[in-house]
Order: sequence, then structure tokens, then C-alpha cells
Amino acid sequence: MDVFAFFEWLDASWLASISKAYGGTFAVVQVFHLLAMLTLGGMVITGDLRLLGVLLKDVPSEVVIDNTQKWINVALVALIASGIFMASAVAIKLYYNSFFWAKMTSLVFGIFFVYAIRRPLLRYDHGSINPWTLRLVAVASMTIWFVVAASGRWIGFS
Amino acid sequence: MLNEVLLRFAEWLDTHAWSTALHESYYMYSWVESTHVLTLALFFGMLVVIDLRMLGRAFTSVPASVIARRLDTPMLIGFAVMVVSGLLLVYAVPVRTTNSIWFRMKMVFFVAAGINALLFRNRMKAAVDTWDNDPIPPRRIRTGAGVSLALWSCVVASGRLMAYDWYDCHQNLPYFMYWVAGCVDEMAAFE
Repeated sequence: MDVFAFFEWLDASWLASISKAYGGTFAVVQVFHLLAMLTLGGMVITGDLRLLGVLLKDVPSEVVIDNTQKWINVALVALIASGIFMASAVAIKLYYNSFFWAKMTSLVFGIFFVYAIRRPLLRYDHGSINPWTLRLVAVASMTIWFVVAASGRWIGFS
Repeated sequence: MLNEVLLRFAEWLDTHAWSTALHESYYMYSWVESTHVLTLALFFGMLVVIDLRMLGRAFTSVPASVIARRLDTPMLIGFAVMVVSGLLLVYAVPVRTTNSIWFRMKMVFFVAAGINALLFRNRMKAAVDTWDNDPIPPRRIRTGAGVSLALWSCVVASGRLMAYDWYDCHQNLPYFMYWVAGCVDEMAAFE
């Protein structure tokens, strides 16, 4: 698959014509991207620190995971939608940016981790899961999302 | 008068060797800024969880006071590191930051959000026994939570928009905008 062709297509798409022509629209979408990232961060931290037994110890971890997962879904949809719009403005530049690829790789891994590992595993009664497995899932989750956020921030510095 | 004082103070900060060193250090400046954003995630993330509970949109089966009390400490840790890293960012670029309309708006929203947080907390503590277990709290509490989310979102938004130079002093702006941004020299050119 020719990845560069996709970036060329994105660069010439109607989305790109909007994001390049209207700096104000781009900035507003960027703000929503940041707010979605902060919401995702808050939900991930709350859920994972509960799994580690640091936060909300008097609330069942199943309740915490269930409540945070809903908002993780919402935040991820907002992040991806706003991210595609932002990427369209500088598609070719991003193709050559190492931090962009670091973010995309960790983001894909993060989504896979949430929906293929974390969520299916945590649907079971947490009491029946080895506590070290829960801790491992929590640390892995926070590490992955930290890398996504940090590499995303460093796109702007590179 | 206030604009003049603020600008002179910023110019004085700008003469510090450490201010220049921090601004010119690629890695240090970037790490301070990254720390600012990541601790913002901790602070704002906890705030979102608390406010969503107060709005009746999350953790409705958990008493509101439990969510507020348990998430208070991590939120305040995030807040403290965020403020310190924010002050360092201002110290690194004092003049442009002082003359940024977005920064000034950010500070106004910040103070308003702080006042709302104090009022909201007191209101919550005073009446929490009557609605603590209600899935949907009373209207006045939901209003406070909604205002809190809106104001802190405005703080985040104006902070993000500081990167844009649309209303910087070097731009051709009306007198009022120069006054809001505190562009003292540009205002003098009008007189």
C-alpha cells in the first residue's frame, strides 16, 4: 500500500482546502483536539490508578472502569475526527515527521490495547483476575497514552 | 498605567540570563512545555470526572462527595505542577506573553474559574448531605459544574491560542486591541 499516496490525497482533499484556508477553524479544531486529549487522559488516569489501588479505593473497580470507558470512547472519536482535520492542513509535512509516526504507531497500539486487551479483560469480575495482571494492564495503559500525548506534543517542536 | 507597569516588569524579567537560557534551550523549554500539558491532563482530567458526576453524567451510582474528595488530591497535585511550569513558561518569554491578548484572556478565565471553584465547593459542602446519593444533583450544583467545565475549557483554549500571532503587537490592530494586549509603544504611536 502506498502510504504517501494517501497523504497526497489528503493534502488535496476538501478537508485540506478548509483547514488551509481558514486558520481560525483550524485553531478551534485544535482546541477541541486538546480538550479531547485531556478528557481521555483524565479517564485513563482515573481508571488505571483505581486498578493500581491508588485512587477511589472505596469504589468497586468495575464501576470506575465502566464509567471511564464510556468517556474514553467519546474522547477517542473526537480525537481522531479532529486529528484527521488537523493533519489535512499539513499532510505532506507530517509524512516526513518522525514524531508524527511515533504518535500514530502508539495511537494504533493504544486503540488496539483498549479494545482488544483492556476492555475484554476488564469485563470479567476483577476479583477473579490476578491482581498483578490488573496492575500490569494499568501501567501498560498509562505508558502507552503517555507516549501518545508526549509524541503528539513534540510534533510541534520538530 | 497598569499596562506600562506590566510591560516594564516583563522587560525586567527579560533581562535575566536564566530567562534567556530557558527560552533558548531547545530541550529544557520543550520539556517544561510538555510537563505543563501533561499535568494539565491530570488536573483537567480529574476536574472533568468530578464535574461530570456533578452534572449527573458519570459515576451516578457513587456518592458525589466520594468522587469529589478522592479526586481532590491528584487534581491539586496536577494544578500545582501546572502552575509552576506555567510560571516558568512566562519567565522564558515574558514580553510576548505579557502582550498576548490570549494570555490576558487566559488569566481572566483562570481567576473566574478559581472564584467559581471556591463558591461551588462551599455550596457543595453546605448541602451535600441532602443530595449526595442522587444520580442527578440539584440544578444549582449542575449549573456550577457546567460553568466550571466551560471556564476551564476557556482557560485551555486561550492557552492553546497563545501560539498564534494574529493579535500580537507587531500586527496592524485598532487602538482598543492594542490597549487590551498592552502594546504600550503602539498605543503611544496613536497619540
